[in-house]
Amino acid sequence: MRPLRILLPILLVVGWEVAAALINNPFILPSLTTVIPVLAHPFSTEYTLGSGSLVENAAISLGRVTIGFFMAAIVAIPLGIVMGRSPWLRDFLDSTVELLRPIPPLAWVPLSLAWFKIGMASMAFIIFIGAFFPILLNTIDGVKSIKLTWIEVATTLGARERQVLSKVILPGSLPTIWTGLRVGFGIAWMCVVAAEWMPGTTRGLGYLILYAYNFGQTNVIIAGMVVIGVIGILIDFLFKSIESRWFFWRGLER
Amino acid sequence: MVSTRILAVAGLVICAALIAGCFTPSPAKSMVTLVLAKGTGPMPTLLGTGQIDGYIAWQPFVEVAPLAGIGKVVVYSQDLPPAGRWVNHPCCVFTARDDVLAGNPDLVNALAAVTILSTDYVNAHPDESAEIVADWLAGKGNFTYGNISVSSVKVLQQAIPTVRFTNEPTEKWMDGNLEFVYALRELGAITGSLTNTTDDQTRALLFSTAPYYKARSMIDNHSFVVPATADKEMGIGYLNSDHDAALFVAVKKWQYFNNTYGIALVPRDTSASRPELADLVVNGKKVATFRLIPGDAGPQLMQMIATDTAKFAYVGNPPTIAAVDKNTPVKIIMALNTEGSGLVVSNDSPATNWTGFVQWAKDRSAQGRPIKIADPGKGSIQDIMIRYALEESGLSFSEG
Amino acid sequence: MTLIIRDLAKSFATEGKPPVEALASLNLEVLDHEFVSVLGPSGCGKTTLLRIVAGLETATSGTVELDGGAVTRPCPRMAMIFQEYSLYPWRNVLDNIAFGLEVKGEPAAERRKVAAQYLDLVSLADFAYHYPYELSGGMRQRVAVARALAIEPQILLMDEPFGALDAQTRNMLQKELLAIWEKTRKTILFVTHSVDEAVYLSDRIVVLSARPGRVRDVVSIDLPRPRDRTSPGFAAIRRYVLDLIEDAAKGQ
Repeated sequence: MRPLRILLPILLVVGWEVAAALINNPFILPSLTTVIPVLAHPFSTEYTLGSGSLVENAAISLGRVTIGFFMAAIVAIPLGIVMGRSPWLRDFLDSTVELLRPIPPLAWVPLSLAWFKIGMASMAFIIFIGAFFPILLNTIDGVKSIKLTWIEVATTLGARERQVLSKVILPGSLPTIWTGLRVGFGIAWMCVVAAEWMPGTTRGLGYLILYAYNFGQTNVIIAGMVVIGVIGILIDFLFKSIESRWFFWRGLER
Repeated sequence: MVSTRILAVAGLVICAALIAGCFTPSPAKSMVTLVLAKGTGPMPTLLGTGQIDGYIAWQPFVEVAPLAGIGKVVVYSQDLPPAGRWVNHPCCVFTARDDVLAGNPDLVNALAAVTILSTDYVNAHPDESAEIVADWLAGKGNFTYGNISVSSVKVLQQAIPTVRFTNEPTEKWMDGNLEFVYALRELGAITGSLTNTTDDQTRALLFSTAPYYKARSMIDNHSFVVPATADKEMGIGYLNSDHDAALFVAVKKWQYFNNTYGIALVPRDTSASRPELADLVVNGKKVATFRLIPGDAGPQLMQMIATDTAKFAYVGNPPTIAAVDKNTPVKIIMALNTEGSGLVVSNDSPATNWTGFVQWAKDRSAQGRPIKIADPGKGSIQDIMIRYALEESGLSFSEG
Repeated sequence: MTLIIRDLAKSFATEGKPPVEALASLNLEVLDHEFVSVLGPSGCGKTTLLRIVAGLETATSGTVELDGGAVTRPCPRMAMIFQEYSLYPWRNVLDNIAFGLEVKGEPAAERRKVAAQYLDLVSLADFAYHYPYELSGGMRQRVAVARALAIEPQILLMDEPFGALDAQTRNMLQKELLAIWEKTRKTILFVTHSVDEAVYLSDRIVVLSARPGRVRDVVSIDLPRPRDRTSPGFAAIRRYVLDLIEDAAKGQ
């Protein structure tokens, strides 16, 4: 990792401690010395108000997000491919998609609870909503930007419709789809906090933060936020490294 | 050109409105500002950062303030004016949906029995119960406010004695609940079926106390009726407060209740601080599975009742009254506790009792800096009590 | 093998305007092993003609017949080579060449062996596992030719294949194309803008009229190959064809 990349986080940490000392009101800016013990004992339940260890909560949140994310991918990618190929279907669905897209996943919470009752289903739905649109729109985009020549090469070499789909459209649009998946997972990860604020769970990083908030335990809240951020960055890194391995050819086509 | 003319007129109108707004005389400033929070969680932090001057909340958030050094207790809820009105005031109640009352009354009786036995235990073993509640709420960990950490066990051990745990739905207790109905009417929070009912009609709509008496007699006769096995999992909603101590103690001390009485709420995960699932076992037979669902506040619990997400709720009475007013099919069976709330102010306030508090409010108001007091939400017990108290003491207030 | 184009006409519908007639009553016959170039003024429809022959577009009227059978969709007896952006960037060179065989269902080992042979034919044997982005423009077109040849078509349809390359590479590829043509004995229908290129490569040059395109002239070139660009014979034919195109452009 290039040293410049971790310079700012380090500066922020130092700056935080200095500011905390200067402001001298631990409620406005708690010193990191209250947050660090929470982070330093990720497997302990002692520091998380009886809500399970940080690691356990992180694993549960990750599991939920992964499920909701996969559901979104399973629906959005095929739909995106079909919409990318079919202008009339795009016309048909476009206004609805654009209407639903700006509605924040959080706003779906009341309906989600009403439709899916409390529990995994209502949470998965919120995460699904979060991940769905980036994946869908990137898939459509990826498919639309497939060069006509690529398709014509395939048909003149004897490919049938299904082969064009599997041997040209899919591999050609995969880099853009992958970007959609990466962005979609990032949003889904943000939604997990909102999703876990719904009643029906006593585990998860989002729930932990809410619970800590209800007891005014800022240090636990900040520790939760740090964990969320770290996991987010790790996953993004994962997506990006796969991208550089599989899709090195992107943008270089001529 | 027509369009420029329209623009000019519009511009003039807007200017006029702005100018008029600037010169409109503002209404008379009130002496106290009530900050309606959503629950009690942020209150200590708000007090610590000086964004509020005090708060009225339920335990253990009252004790948190002095123990964390961010404030001091001015008065406990039962001592708020009007004098004597709030002594032994009802607070939390045990409620059940109409359908489970009608469809499986034996189950309701059994759950009521467990709750009664547990309440007796809490009264007999306050320190141990405090530990159990600290475990449930905070995993027996520390509460950290700013740089100060206090042990949750310590906080609860100080808080539990200020709460009166009792179950019997006495006449006096039921009247106490009616006081809240009157108060809510005056606040304009009741607009439905309880708007114009007589006291008798109100009682009929609110209470179904038979399960308490059946439970009591089962306990006295040492013989419990085994209810029909419920086929579906049922929800029990509760609050993260020591007012629901009876529920926590019932679940955590399940072995004791099972061995001593043959009836218990057995948690599925016996090592968890805050179990999510518990089975009701009567005379060795598992008769129901309950999902224990914590809510942020009373109204949310009543929403769970209304949507049939929960069949039972350990909740405050004003939200229940408001729910009945909106035709939610729920009944109050018995009390869980009375009193157990308090008013806390910042450390630099001169107030040490209610009288001092009133004086302080008047002084601050005269200086043009009315005090800000947070309460857990409109229509909550604490909200009603503080409004009454302020009015009684001649302090005007507004929501801010 | 004969390719017969009879009375071919193509109109494109345009919104709100009268339809554009790209081709009108075009007649042409291409014989086995011939190298035929199609030239004409701008917009004369030469690419449209090629695409209809390839089966990528359908004629408004008229027919294209390959050995008596009508051509209405792409068929593997004709392979097309495009000007650019035709290699699949996610596949290495070998797998690009093997694409047509993969589509046919040939097993991997088999098709890679055949692909390697054609890679050799275009003198790029060392680049089997390279990716298109690593190759120069000229190399990519050679891969495209190998890919087309791998399915062993009878006719190669080439749409200005060297148009995006610099002059030197272009000349080099023209020579290579001729070598491959002589070796594999394919029939080639070649669309180009460059008179020079057409005279260098072809047995016959078909000059189309201005839009709507129809066959205006056919010029046979008897010069032996390899042709000398500097020879007077070459220059004369080039002059002649240039004049034809200029006249065609003026609508004469």
